[in-house]
Formats: sequence, C-alpha cells, structure tokens
Amino acid sequence: MSSTMDPPIYYSRSEYIETDTGNKVSRRATIAGPQNIVLGGKTIISSGAIIRGDLRRTGPGHTVVIQLGRYCLIGEGCIMRPPYKTFRGAFNYYPMKIGDHVHIGAGSVIEAATIGNHVEIGKNCIIGKFTIIKDCAKIADNTVIPPNTVIPTFSRFAGSPGHFIEDLPESTQEMVEAQTKQYYTRFQPLDRQ
Amino acid sequence: MGPSVQYHCPCLSTSPVPPPPHLPSSLHHFHPLHNLFFCEECDAVRCNRCVAVEVSTYYCPNCLFEVPSASVRAEKNRCARNCFSCPNCRNTLSVVSSDPPETGDGRSTAPLNSSGEPPFFLYCNHCRWDSAEIGITFEKPTGLAAQLQKYEDSAPDSLEFDRLKDHFEPFLRASSLSSSMAVHAALPGSAAHSHHLHSTSITAAASAALARDIPGVAKYNPLSRSASGRAHRDRTANKDEMPEYKGRVEIASVGLLGGGGGDVEVDFMRRLRDVQSVASVEQRWGNSWAGTLQVKDLKPLRIPLHSKRSKRCPACTHILIKPEQKAQSVRYKIKLVAANYLPAITVALPHLQKPIATSDAAKRTLMKISPQSIDDGTTPPGLIAGKTYPFHLALTNPLYDPIQVRLSVQRVHVTAATPGVGEKARRPPFAISLPTSPFPIAAFAEAWEYEDDEDMMVDDDDFGAGGVKGRDKDGRGKAKTVGVLERRANVTLIGGEVIIGKEARGNVKFNMLVTYTYRSDDSTPSEGDGDVPKSSKPPEVKSFAFYTVVDLGPIIPREEPRMETDA
Repeated sequence: MSSTMDPPIYYSRSEYIETDTGNKVSRRATIAGPQNIVLGGKTIISSGAIIRGDLRRTGPGHTVVIQLGRYCLIGEGCIMRPPYKTFRGAFNYYPMKIGDHVHIGAGSVIEAATIGNHVEIGKNCIIGKFTIIKDCAKIADNTVIPPNTVIPTFSRFAGSPGHFIEDLPESTQEMVEAQTKQYYTRFQPLDRQ
Repeated sequence: MGPSVQYHCPCLSTSPVPPPPHLPSSLHHFHPLHNLFFCEECDAVRCNRCVAVEVSTYYCPNCLFEVPSASVRAEKNRCARNCFSCPNCRNTLSVVSSDPPETGDGRSTAPLNSSGEPPFFLYCNHCRWDSAEIGITFEKPTGLAAQLQKYEDSAPDSLEFDRLKDHFEPFLRASSLSSSMAVHAALPGSAAHSHHLHSTSITAAASAALARDIPGVAKYNPLSRSASGRAHRDRTANKDEMPEYKGRVEIASVGLLGGGGGDVEVDFMRRLRDVQSVASVEQRWGNSWAGTLQVKDLKPLRIPLHSKRSKRCPACTHILIKPEQKAQSVRYKIKLVAANYLPAITVALPHLQKPIATSDAAKRTLMKISPQSIDDGTTPPGLIAGKTYPFHLALTNPLYDPIQVRLSVQRVHVTAATPGVGEKARRPPFAISLPTSPFPIAAFAEAWEYEDDEDMMVDDDDFGAGGVKGRDKDGRGKAKTVGVLERRANVTLIGGEVIIGKEARGNVKFNMLVTYTYRSDDSTPSEGDGDVPKSSKPPEVKSFAFYTVVDLGPIIPREEPRMETDA
C-alpha cells in the first residue's frame, strides 16, 4: 500500500488558493473560463498548468467544459484542452470529463473526452483528442496516445503511438486510491518562518 | 528505485524457505504484495505464476464490445466489427470518407463518424497510413470486418488453418472426453511454467489445448519421460491412428506464390531504393503467415480480443478472483488478494528522506527552517560501505483485529556459508538488527477521515512508544534506533539498523520472516467476499508466517570520495 513514511511535499501558502472543498489551485496556473470548470474537491492544480475552460461549445447557456473529480492532480505545466472537431461542417468543442483519483504527471497535454476513475497518466504524455480512458488504466511517462483511442480498464499503455503493454493487478483501484489520498495529505503548506 | 519489500510465494520450490537473496533465483520467488492472492481454504499465498486462470469474458479493447465465447472461435479471437490496427504503427484505424481530411486551418481533422460519401477507407491518426494506398476501400462505413471477409477467407494462412482444423477435428472430438480430466490435472503445472506476465487467457487456453493428449502428438512430447506424459501415451496408444497431415501448398513452392521466398525477395531487395518500403520485424510479427517484406503488402489486422479472467487456487481450486461479467466494470464478485490478509510492509531509509518543495519559494522557506533537509546534492544516493544506517519498516494491518507481529532475519550467512570461505567473502557482508520481540499492530478501522493531517506529518522526534532513546531532527540515528518507533492507527513503525562491512558490495538485501498471530473467529478476514464459506471456528489465536525480501539499495564502495555525512 502507500508508504506511510513518505516525506511531505511542501508548497508555499502564498502560491496556492485553497477552496472550501479542499481544492488547491496554484496562482501560477492559467485557469481560463473558470465558470466552466468544475473541481470535485481535494484536487490539486499545480503551477504552470493551463486549463482551457474558455473553449466552450458554441451556443447559449451555461456549459461545463472541464469536469474534474476528487483527489485529482494536474501536474506542473500540464495543458488541459477540451477536444474539438468539425462535425457536419460545424466546428465545435466538446466537454472533457475526468473522474476521481486521477493523477496527471508534469508536462502532459490532455485532450481526452473521458478519463475514468483511478487513472494514472505519467509525465510528458500526449493524450489525443477524444481519447477515452477507462477506469484503473495507467499511461506510462512519455506516451503519445493518438486521437480517438480507447484505453480499456486495468491496462497499461506506453510508447508512441501508445500500445497495450500489460494488465494491471486486480488491486489497482485500492492502490491508486490510497496513493492519491496520500499525495493530498502529503501536499502541505509551508509558511512557518 | 528506492528501497523495496517483496513477498514470497512458495509455489516455485518444495521448501517453504525462499532462496538466499543474493542468488539470481531469488528474484522469481518474490512479488509485490499487490500482485499476490490469498487462499482462505489453504491458508496460503498464491501468485500469478501458480494460480489457474480461466477466461470469464472476451471483449474488444477498442470498441469494448463483449464477444460471446461462441463467436470468439469463429472470429479467430479478433474483433469482428469495425476495429482494425494500422499495419504500419499498430495504432487503431478510424474510418473516414472520401472527403479530403485536410481542413482550411492546415490541421488534419479526421472525422470520427464520417457522414461523407463513399468510398470509405481506413485511416491512421498517428502515421497517416490509409487503406486506399493498398487498394482497400469500403462502400459503407459499418461492418468493415464483414466487408473484408472475402479477402481474409482467401488468404493462404486462413485456408491452411481451416485445413489443419479439419484434419484434427475428429481426433479432438474423440479425445476431448477422456482428456478433460487430464487437462484439469495438467493445468496448474502448465500455468506455472507459462510466462504469466504476458500470457493472455488465449495463451492459457492454448497451453491447455496443447497439454491435451492429441493422439500421435503426445509421443513426440519431450516431457513424455515424466510420469504424467507416460500416462498420456498409455491411454492414447489404442486409439492412435492418425493420417499424416499434408499442407495445402508445398513449402518449396511458396516462393512462387509471392508469399515470401528466395528469388522474389532478392529481386525486391536489389531494386530497393528506400529502406522505408521494407516492413520491419515488428510490423510483420503479428502475421501468422510468412508474408512479403514489402510495406505496401501489409494489410490492416482486426484487433485481437482481450479477456477478463477468473483465477483459482492451484491446490484447492477455490476461486480467488472472479470479475464482474461486464467488460468495463472494475468490480469483482470475488477478490481474495493478499493485501487484505497480510500486513503491508514499506521500508524507508530515513537518511535519504527529504521533504519535497514544489516551488522555489517553498524551497527557500524550507531552507530557513531546516537547511539540512533540502536535498542539496551532497547526500549520496545510497549506503556507503563501512557505515551503519538506520532503516524504518512501516507495517500496516489490513485486518479488523489487532495482530502481534514478530520479525526475524533469515541467517543466510550461517546456512549457506558451509561450502567454503570464498563463498562467504563474495557475499555482501552486512548485519541487520531488528527487534526480536513481538509487537502489536492495532486493527484496521476503515477511516481515512480520522487520520488527521498533523499526525501524518510528524517529524521524527515525537515518537511515543518503544525503545527510542533519542534521535536528531532529520532522522539520522545518533543513538540506538532499533525497536518500535511509533504506533499510529493500524500502522506500526519499526526501526532497524544495518551495519555494512568495509568490503561490502552489491545490494543490502535480506530475507525476513514475518510471523503474525491474530484472533481467528468468524469476523476475521472476511473482507474479500462472503462467498467463500468459512466453517465457524471457536475464537482462537492463529498464526501465519510468510517470507519477504527487503532491499535497502546498493552499497557504494569505499573507494568513492567520501561525502560529507554524519553518524
């Protein structure tokens, strides 16, 4: 299970905004169109991340562009951009939905349509447009997932283009859940002078 | 890679004691806790190498369609819908219409579900291969596999395969009844030998089929020297009359058919201008027939199916893993994993543990508080020969009852040193001290919420219980650090110490026997599922023991320039 002895991860209190539901959002992250972004709670958005909530579906009314679950981590310098396509001659953006306990490593670019629960995405990955990632999947560091790919449950993908590598153990869900909760607990403000 | 703990599964050897950790065979005996299962009936740990695997569902990894097992065989284990992999890069292909895929902004926007005009073709979003290049187009964008059926059925490999099937069919049918028992007996063995990591259910099924006694084949089996092989032969001897199989094509004439072969390929290579037109081994690997070397002859392949598998204990055949039927469900009807029974152990070297700062500002602040705690590059990433280091073992109790744990280090030095002194000198000489008396770990309370944050982040100096006599701030043991350091919720932190010899080499790696006692009543380890019937026993104290291997990391030889460290 998660190491109970892992050292804390310190951030400076002045850099992060903590919401009522425990989300921690870096002031150095670019949050475009925040009214179209939903965070589930206890989700961390690291510095340098870019979240494009402004790329919304054309048309009137309020839309959710990017929805994130609980205990997610958007790594440093990640770009989250909703997928887009021209359908029947009309260009449009489509919403992006991300489940609970999803960690996205630093420097990754995400244009997925759906990411399930308990998903780990490594560093410097590119997740192509309209990718569907099912629960308990894992994307290794530096993987390029081409557009429209479907990644089934309990599978590890790696490479460019990303390929199925192996099945993950049956207890992946518990492991990832413990790990993401642990990470949130370890992520501590540091303002003692 | 930091320090690690792995757990022993005794399936590979007859003795319950694992091999000494310096032997290469040690690697195959140990697994991460989360890859192990636990059989309640046998009261034993099981691993992926020893469990018997059976397929519960087949599904296509791309369209996630669950394929009934009847059509799995008919469709040759591949998706019979619209899923194809790119012959060039193995990416999934998408169907596009004849509309130009380029739009005004210069980006390729291959439409998802094309509503354009026929002909349709397959297009790779990654390498831009398209099936029009090799002359495959479709009249309508659905049921592509059926549209390609005629190409596939006339391919030499499928013709040959059908012929082989026809040839063996009567024998398989005749022997299936008598051999079903034999297969069952052979399955644990064959599962243990297969490379479990890469074995899909299909290969598991194939190995079961191979183990089946096909008359006439069994006698060529090199394993027939063994008792079970002889039994096969005896039983099959009487009904064993099989005509020799004749291939559809003579192997000598294959080259003439353009299906690969000497002169054609030599000729092709002679005219070769661009190395890109030669198909790589990887591109040809998935084909079951020796094709040509040319990229332009590669065909898109239907995507192979994946499966969900049930796992059984090899000894008592009780189910350890039973997934839900639905292909994309992550739940299990039965899930008896070792993590729910054995205490989880993590190991850490406190002298290597540094708080992590996410930003420069946080780093600066951290520097002000404890200048030593930031990794400034002066701490060597390992253990230096001739020094003494403390290490921590955190044991987490997964049971709803408290347990008593006793740790003991396996003395490889005594048992294995008998052959000679030379052997002894080669081994990394180090000594491990761990508390020898049993210690308790509190019950698991299933309450993440109660673990308050300050508690998780204790500095190393507020240990309550145990024989701690004093430690400095960043955990570098000045004093004796062996014993129970801390008890919190269902976690007990144990301090150990390793003394590394001056001439030590290799990794600090030792086998550790973990014995724990628990109160065995009905409420004990019923976490996995209630499906396994437990005979109601009177409350009694039971004990369970398992081996682990603890790897603290590599020893840095003495010759290296001495880094500034304390202790």
